Amino acid sequence: MNEVVIDCLGEACPVPLVKAQNKINEMATGDVLIVQIDHSCAMKNVPEWARKDGHNVEVEEVDDGEWEVIIEKA
Amino acid sequence: MENTAVKKVKFFDKVKENEYYKKWIKSPLTYVAAAMLLSVFQIATLASTGNPWGVSGVFAYWGAWMFEAVGGTVDKWYYFASPGAQSTLDAGFLSHAGTWRNLGIIFGALGTTLLASGFKIKKIKSKKQIVAAVIGGLLMGYGARVAYGCNIGALYSGIASLSLSGWVFGIGMFGGAVVGSKLLVKYFM
Amino acid sequence: MAEQSTVSRRRSSASRRKPKKNQIPFGVALVAIIVAIGIALGANNPKLALFWVTGILFGVILQKGRFCFTASMRDPYLTGGTSITRAVLIAFAITTLGFAAVKYGYAAQGLPVPGMSYVVPISIATIVGAFIFGVGMVIAGGCASGTLMRVGEGFHMQLISLFFFVVGSLWGAHDFGWWKYNVISKGKAIFLPDVFGWAGAIIVQLAIIGLLYIAAEKYEEKRKAS
Repeated sequence: MNEVVIDCLGEACPVPLVKAQNKINEMATGDVLIVQIDHSCAMKNVPEWARKDGHNVEVEEVDDGEWEVIIEKA
Repeated sequence: MENTAVKKVKFFDKVKENEYYKKWIKSPLTYVAAAMLLSVFQIATLASTGNPWGVSGVFAYWGAWMFEAVGGTVDKWYYFASPGAQSTLDAGFLSHAGTWRNLGIIFGALGTTLLASGFKIKKIKSKKQIVAAVIGGLLMGYGARVAYGCNIGALYSGIASLSLSGWVFGIGMFGGAVVGSKLLVKYFM
Repeated sequence: MAEQSTVSRRRSSASRRKPKKNQIPFGVALVAIIVAIGIALGANNPKLALFWVTGILFGVILQKGRFCFTASMRDPYLTGGTSITRAVLIAFAITTLGFAAVKYGYAAQGLPVPGMSYVVPISIATIVGAFIFGVGMVIAGGCASGTLMRVGEGFHMQLISLFFFVVGSLWGAHDFGWWKYNVISKGKAIFLPDVFGWAGAIIVQLAIIGLLYIAAEKYEEKRKAS
């Protein structure tokens, strides 16, 4: 069970989501993708996309204005 | 002295745990709820100010005032020639209603972010972001003037005002967004 | 957001856990400043206070909803998602009804209809300007309202974007005379109630919005399946 972390801190609007979508395709079922973000848009659209695609999602607030979106590929 | 400071800190920490704080202040709105609330205040804007909401028109005046501040003049330009425009220019930005609304948007967003304890300065990460911001900003500014407005004034307010121009703008804007997305992925990611 | 942990993982890189600062006092202080400014403006000029308050409200709603018009147009192509697109359509529909009610109220009494300055001539300039705007907003990571919102959220990139938005606006204002004379004057403003009557215009527009909504939903399902 692999764990991959992508650092998307400071990235502009669609970038975290696009990077997450691309990365998850390279991963196997059961692997966990952790997306580090500080963009409020991404804090909403990344989990929304991941849930719609059927993955298990958890959002954790790491610091003021910083989140980690933890996605387990289903 | 120190006791009250400690008490204050503990108070605000307790606020953070409060259920109403979490429900009303901390948690985000759904897109649909935001759409409904925006509509309410758009309609209120039309009813109370006589005009729908607009954002980018203000920026042309900000540009004019900046230009005048460094010695330029826009008085001969067609865009600023009308008596209404001239009096707005003369009155200055502190008297400009639209300016205060745009500043309000900034402060409103800042305030709600701070109250939710989610504020963070996001510094520039790469040169690409600077180039993107420069080009993107210029394009938006120019395009909005030529098309009589931006995503708010031309698109949202235009369509809601039952003006066909709003729909035409929407089509053009959508096409531009597709092209912009391709450029974004290719050059700016 | 008290979700059961459905994700199996070890405590991982959530390692940068420095103690979170509580920003609420700053938020409260800012609210006090906002109120003070509102009162100060209102004392001199109630109109300014009104615009300030509506701006604050829009800023709050946009930020709390993470509402981004840019995303509504960009996501269908880039990520296949249309949830914001559909929310924007809902906003169009509700606002259309409200605007129509206000406007009709004035028209029915024989008074000048408010907001007609936003019914503008349609010409090549509309398409070209909108297209340019669309390209710019996606590249810049935010539209007009989105840029202001993100300045408030602390994004340096949007501060730059805002500055150049202002510069571009000045440039556009400079060239506007040319556009008006050569392009826009050849166009015509079309106010839908003039064509379909008030009821007709509302019905037609809501119907189109409804169809677009359905199309957006179906499109997202289709993209997901592929």
